[in-house]
Amino acid sequence: MKKNYLTKIGALLTTTTLAFASLAGCGTAKAESSGAASDATTVEDETPATTDAAEASEEKSDTVYRTLDEIKESGTINIGVFSDKSPFGYVDENGEYAGYDVYFAEKIGEDLGVDINYVSTEAANRIEYLQTGKVDIILANFTVTEERAQEVDFALPYMNVALGVVSPSDAVVESLDAVGADDQIIVISGTTAETYLEKNYPDIKLQKYDAYAEAKTAFENGNAVAWANDNTEVIAFSLENEGFTVGIPSLGDADTIAPAVTKGNESLLTWLNDEIETIGNDNFFHEDYEATLLDTYGKDYEDTLVVEGGKVQ
Amino acid sequence: MDVNVLKSYIPLYNEALLLTVKIGVLGILTAFAIGLSGAAAIYFKIPVVSRVLKIYIELFRNTPLLVQLFFIYFALPKLGLRVSAELCGILGLGLIGGAYMIETMRSGLESIDKIQSESALSLGMTHGQVFWSIILPQAFSVSMPGIMANVIFLLKETSVFSTISLMDLMFTAKDLIGMYAKTIECLFLLVIYYLIMLLPVSILGSIIERRVRYAEFGN
Amino acid sequence: MQSLGIDVLFKGTNMLRLLKGLWVSVEISLISVALSIVLGLIIGVLMTSKNSVMRFLLRVYLEIVRIMPQMVLLFIVYFGTTRVFGINISAELSAIIVFVFWGTAEMGDLVRGSIKSIPRIQYDSAYALGLNKFQVHFFIIFPQTIRRLIPLSINLVTRMIKTTSLVMMIGIVEVLKVAQQIIEANRKASPNAAFGVFAVVFFLYFIVCWPISRFAVKLEKRWALN
Repeated sequence: MKKNYLTKIGALLTTTTLAFASLAGCGTAKAESSGAASDATTVEDETPATTDAAEASEEKSDTVYRTLDEIKESGTINIGVFSDKSPFGYVDENGEYAGYDVYFAEKIGEDLGVDINYVSTEAANRIEYLQTGKVDIILANFTVTEERAQEVDFALPYMNVALGVVSPSDAVVESLDAVGADDQIIVISGTTAETYLEKNYPDIKLQKYDAYAEAKTAFENGNAVAWANDNTEVIAFSLENEGFTVGIPSLGDADTIAPAVTKGNESLLTWLNDEIETIGNDNFFHEDYEATLLDTYGKDYEDTLVVEGGKVQ
Repeated sequence: MDVNVLKSYIPLYNEALLLTVKIGVLGILTAFAIGLSGAAAIYFKIPVVSRVLKIYIELFRNTPLLVQLFFIYFALPKLGLRVSAELCGILGLGLIGGAYMIETMRSGLESIDKIQSESALSLGMTHGQVFWSIILPQAFSVSMPGIMANVIFLLKETSVFSTISLMDLMFTAKDLIGMYAKTIECLFLLVIYYLIMLLPVSILGSIIERRVRYAEFGN
Repeated sequence: MQSLGIDVLFKGTNMLRLLKGLWVSVEISLISVALSIVLGLIIGVLMTSKNSVMRFLLRVYLEIVRIMPQMVLLFIVYFGTTRVFGINISAELSAIIVFVFWGTAEMGDLVRGSIKSIPRIQYDSAYALGLNKFQVHFFIIFPQTIRRLIPLSINLVTRMIKTTSLVMMIGIVEVLKVAQQIIEANRKASPNAAFGVFAVVFFLYFIVCWPISRFAVKLEKRWALN
């Protein structure tokens, strides 16, 4: 026991060394994943469970995504959606997924002839889920941006979006330049609103949340002067909740929302694009709007929001 | 792993470390204050207080910190009680830590043989003197390893602060992953920073544990 | 109690979903504890081994577990492994891996502690009576060790159940995530749902963990007497 703390210092050194070894391992991971894998396992875990996992990895190839045929063969497609972003992706009181994104997902499942396994995602996890193959498609109000397009492949768009800012009606924020030095604006981690504000308004203090439910509850509770997000979302919020006004209805570039697949998953991407074009002929997304968004937005926003057949007006 | 990416993230992690340590230290001090006064109250069997404290201990030891934080931060404002994220973090850590600290310190106090206070009292010392100069110093050294274990536990628990918008280490890592998808770099720095924060505490804990063994009375 | 938002839980299958979410947490902890106990016994015995390299390695392992927050481990296993090895581990499996990794170390240390706490004289007396090494361990040391261990490992169960609240972060829909979904779906109809639902979640955790930890305390007291 006397040498207890010496052992700890030893432990530090070993851990650091091993961590650096794994660092080196990471660098080569893409080139020769199996060699690096067995090296690094000893660092992270010593349980037999992971040793098994490491062995399994040696047999598997580099690609993490599943091709269209593999998905069809398995009979199930994994689709990442929000579970707390009403009216786009949420879970209703009977435990069923619902919303604009989910309505589209159901159609995809139907036309592919497979079952759907919904994976509940947070904004910040969306790229991660695709890159690690944990889902086949992300259908979670995913705005197309250049940065993201380097990490994942976007299909044709199905909705228009820009940024918007909502604030309590008794103190409406109409310009971001008017935000005081001590005021905070709520954003959700991993959204375009976050990146935009970080880039263009670095002085504004952001209050960041992982989940939509958390951000909205905090905003309702009065924790910040405003909430910046997709304008679709903030408009919906102001319409559904009394006492809130969208002071800045459109901010930044006009963007689109599209499904995304893992980078390089050509077969699935092509199928999705064809699907969006085909169902566009039947005005599918208008039907989707009427089924899921009409209650919130009314008729007024239908043509500005919906992108039909992948063609932005 | 990209060294340039690591370098560009380091300032952000430094900031996060500072915030984590700040809230961690304030929370632990709160826990310590609750622990000491609570343990004394139970030791002296103060009627209503010790019963209330026991309920508090059971409630906070048997629920996760994350749920406690959610309750304080998201639910209490519905009753009109709004706290800032930082205060909520300090309060949450202080409350859960307090429950653990009371238990640790109480068992320290109870481990001191009754004969010591009886002898001290018969020497003409007051109850206060007995507690402060005879019982407490010994009880403290007996509880020290437990206290250090609690401190490490509480510092680790700060990782759940990310859910209430505190930009701690965990949040910074998650946020950066969400924005730039440099997962490996972010996780690597995360591990390193937790080591930087917790290893010294853990080493200190071992040293104290050794010292305390020598200081134990009558063994 | 309309205004406190507890009514939300009686809509549709909301309460049932919340309980199902709780079961997800309990299930993950029970599986993990079972595995941790088995592996922990082995690791614990190894921790008392005379081989200093072995002892050192296990010490490092224990230190890593003690220092790294479980949330960090969850992220490393869930996101990191796919990045580095290209294998895809489901969220549930990741959670179990992390909990077993953690539980095994804690259990191992408890086992080591209780083996060490058996006085030397018991071995000596047993050997003097002519028992062989296997008999000494199996009939003398083990029963006493187990008795000391049981209350401690029950405590580990409650700690694990409490820690499962973190698995929400890697996308497992457990009780807290269900709570958020319910709050979100009913934001318009019952704006105070956050209070009622989180209060219920708080008590659900308490109702599960409290009896278990009381039971552990009782066992500890009873067995400490004789």
